Amino acid sequence: MSAWRYVREAVHRAAGRGVVAVLLCLLVLPLAVVVATAFDASGAVAFPPRGLSTRWFSALLASSTWLQALLNSLVVATGTSALSTAVGVAAALGVRQLDEGRRRAVVALAVLPLLVPGVIIGVTTLTLFSQFGLQQSYVALVLAHSLWATPLAFSVIQASFARFDWQLHEAALDLGATPIRAFTGVVAPNVRAGLAVAALVAFVVSLQEFVIALFLSGPDTRTVPVAAWNSLRQSLDPVVSVVSALLLVAVVCLVVVVGALAGVGRFASDL
Amino acid sequence: MSTRTRRLPSLGGRRTLALLAPLLALDVLVFLVPTAYLLRVSLTARTPGGAFVEGSWALDGYRYVTETSLVHEILAFTLFFAVLVTALAVAVGVVYAYAAWCATGWTRTLLLGGAVCSLFTTLVVKLFAVLLVYSPQGLVNDLLRAVGLASEPVLLVDNLAGAVIGQLYIVVPYAILAVYAVLSSLNTQLVEAARDLGADGSGVFREVVLPHVRPGIAVAAVIAFTWSVGAYPAPLLLGSGSEQTVGILVSQLLLARFDWPAAAALSVVTAGTVFGSLLVVLWRLDLAGGLLDA
Repeated sequence: MSAWRYVREAVHRAAGRGVVAVLLCLLVLPLAVVVATAFDASGAVAFPPRGLSTRWFSALLASSTWLQALLNSLVVATGTSALSTAVGVAAALGVRQLDEGRRRAVVALAVLPLLVPGVIIGVTTLTLFSQFGLQQSYVALVLAHSLWATPLAFSVIQASFARFDWQLHEAALDLGATPIRAFTGVVAPNVRAGLAVAALVAFVVSLQEFVIALFLSGPDTRTVPVAAWNSLRQSLDPVVSVVSALLLVAVVCLVVVVGALAGVGRFASDL
Repeated sequence: MSTRTRRLPSLGGRRTLALLAPLLALDVLVFLVPTAYLLRVSLTARTPGGAFVEGSWALDGYRYVTETSLVHEILAFTLFFAVLVTALAVAVGVVYAYAAWCATGWTRTLLLGGAVCSLFTTLVVKLFAVLLVYSPQGLVNDLLRAVGLASEPVLLVDNLAGAVIGQLYIVVPYAILAVYAVLSSLNTQLVEAARDLGADGSGVFREVVLPHVRPGIAVAAVIAFTWSVGAYPAPLLLGSGSEQTVGILVSQLLLARFDWPAAAALSVVTAGTVFGSLLVVLWRLDLAGGLLDA
């Protein structure tokens, strides 16, 4: 009986592992295929590549529209990262002093935009911002992206604050430090990793965001995902593979850095 | 971590408010005010000459939504699509997250790293990858033919299957991490105890793991459902003309036909339907408490 059960469990476990391996491959391999097509020598986007070449990387560097899109993406992502981290730090400090009920209300309000599809956020912000002539501006993009990046930065910062010994902060205040000095001198050095992760997450969220940017960006502020989408919808430009590969490299860098700073497992459950 | 601040309550209160002000301002100015404005636009008169008639009050937009049968069909398809994607995404998310939780060392890092990478990758790249891999000349069809599962190419893009696969690539990473976040608080000793008491692998999963991850499943389902009701790029790129969703129609009304009252009314009706059905489901399943915990 127990031998029979042992065999059955072993079979179950093997089948389970097989299913999970297939799921992992389905999740990640298509992205690897995209990277491979970036090095294809022919003009058609195809896999497996026929001959290796970096000619499409040169094509990217020669194209002013793609370079403009890269610049736009960097400007918007930097702005979003700075704004979301600052707002997130302030809010994480603020909710510490609230009672349970109010803290939940603030967290719920902060998280709410994450539950609203990008199309709806794109439509609502476009209709309002266009009243002030703000549509197609960097400001509009940064504000709209911060709506999604801030709750993520906020929850990462909150999680790292929860691991900090706040009695040190109390001690600094008792010894006469101003609140700002106590934060920069005592708290910040101890939660540095958390702050870096929050800023990085906000940066990458903005860099990769597409639907809101599709509605809010114009010819001069078009970000890389929007430019790639336009190219996908019209004639498939092999440069799309190259920018896709660059965007993937940015994500892998994020995950590696975050993994080194915080551990992927902790990060995955903090998010 | 519950240390008491020793300053005067009034000063502490004011400082707390000042610290929370930027977050509240952002959410009010970029989220609540635009939403209220959309509500206002949905109640204006339609005009062929521009976006909408400023300052007017009318039910034109809602009349368009309730009286056009094409809109009804699109709404019905969108809900069907969202339910389908949600069921599949939650199933994949639970299996994957449980496997990551059971795994140790490098396997766990690999599984979670894969999910996080996919989560942060722009959906444009993911949909492009799906297009490459699932097309009739793509890798998946090559594999299916190589192992003899198919003799003809299986159509996995430009139809419902394509739209669903594309949307799954967008929501599955969220589902995985939502379930994993809750699982990570599950005590391994509980699982060991169940095993010692004679439960087998599937028994442990059913009796110990599933009840524990219910809040995670609720979050995963809510995210998958709301995002799929708002699906726009996946059905547009990977579906055919018959996979029309509300998101596609709204963007057409807004950007191509400049019919803002109709677009706004449709958005309001969709958002109302989503939140209404979520409330009913959460209330029926009594999961609302768990949702706020996560």
